[in-house]
Amino acid sequence: MSKANYEHYIDIVTKRYFDGVDNYNMEQVLDCFHPDAVLTEVTSMTVHEGRDEGIKTMFEGLFDGFSHIWHGNFVHTADIESEAICSQFSVEITPVDGEELRYENCNRFYLRDGKFSRVFVYMSGDNLLR
Amino acid sequence: MQYQSSLSRDELIELSLQKYFANVDAKNLDAVLDCFHDNAMLTIQTAFAVHEGKEGIRRMFVDFMAAYKTIIHRDFTCTVDEKNGRITANFVAELEDHDGNRTELHNTNFWRIRGDKFQEVYVYMSGENPLV
Repeated sequence: MSKANYEHYIDIVTKRYFDGVDNYNMEQVLDCFHPDAVLTEVTSMTVHEGRDEGIKTMFEGLFDGFSHIWHGNFVHTADIESEAICSQFSVEITPVDGEELRYENCNRFYLRDGKFSRVFVYMSGDNLLR
Repeated sequence: MQYQSSLSRDELIELSLQKYFANVDAKNLDAVLDCFHDNAMLTIQTAFAVHEGKEGIRRMFVDFMAAYKTIIHRDFTCTVDEKNGRITANFVAELEDHDGNRTELHNTNFWRIRGDKFQEVYVYMSGENPLV
């Protein structure tokens, strides 16, 4: 498969991945990843390996633990040549039976054949992706 | 904010790695500050620390360079968005203070370039913020 175009990088992050997260659509979220993908939360060095194993388990915990999730205010650095996109964004997230939390995070996404191969997350507060 | 950048892909990398980080490591303060606009802003997003204007950024670097005997930034992975004047780099920061205490961080910087200099810089750190 040839390298994806610029719009693909923006769209997979916003219109597919985070749209899926915000709407609790597990199938849409996992479809953004390769089966052997790895997601690392860098600020706590938490590693989730495998789309259908560690990453799925992580999202099951996120979806069960929070009643509202919103990602927005994106600023992207998208690079077709290196097949990567780095995104800064705000997160508003409400724990079940808790007060809304606000984060200013960034993700680095490295793609292969148009899907996520490696994802690195930095959080401005406590790690929610356990 | 969307800025107009005059730099090519290679020039964005040169500004961030050679003109900026190489001079941070060499403690060439004036050369580091020359990478910034006078009204630039540097934010340590993971600590919600903001350094405003070249004078605020100078004060931060004076303290940072004095606090550590050795400063090394290495193993860069750059993501470059030439069309939008943005560059991101992931890297390892190795710091050693004057008592021999070592700190290793795995950080990510986002730079937004206006013209040929930094207008906004955002730093995401894997550990405690040394840029105070």
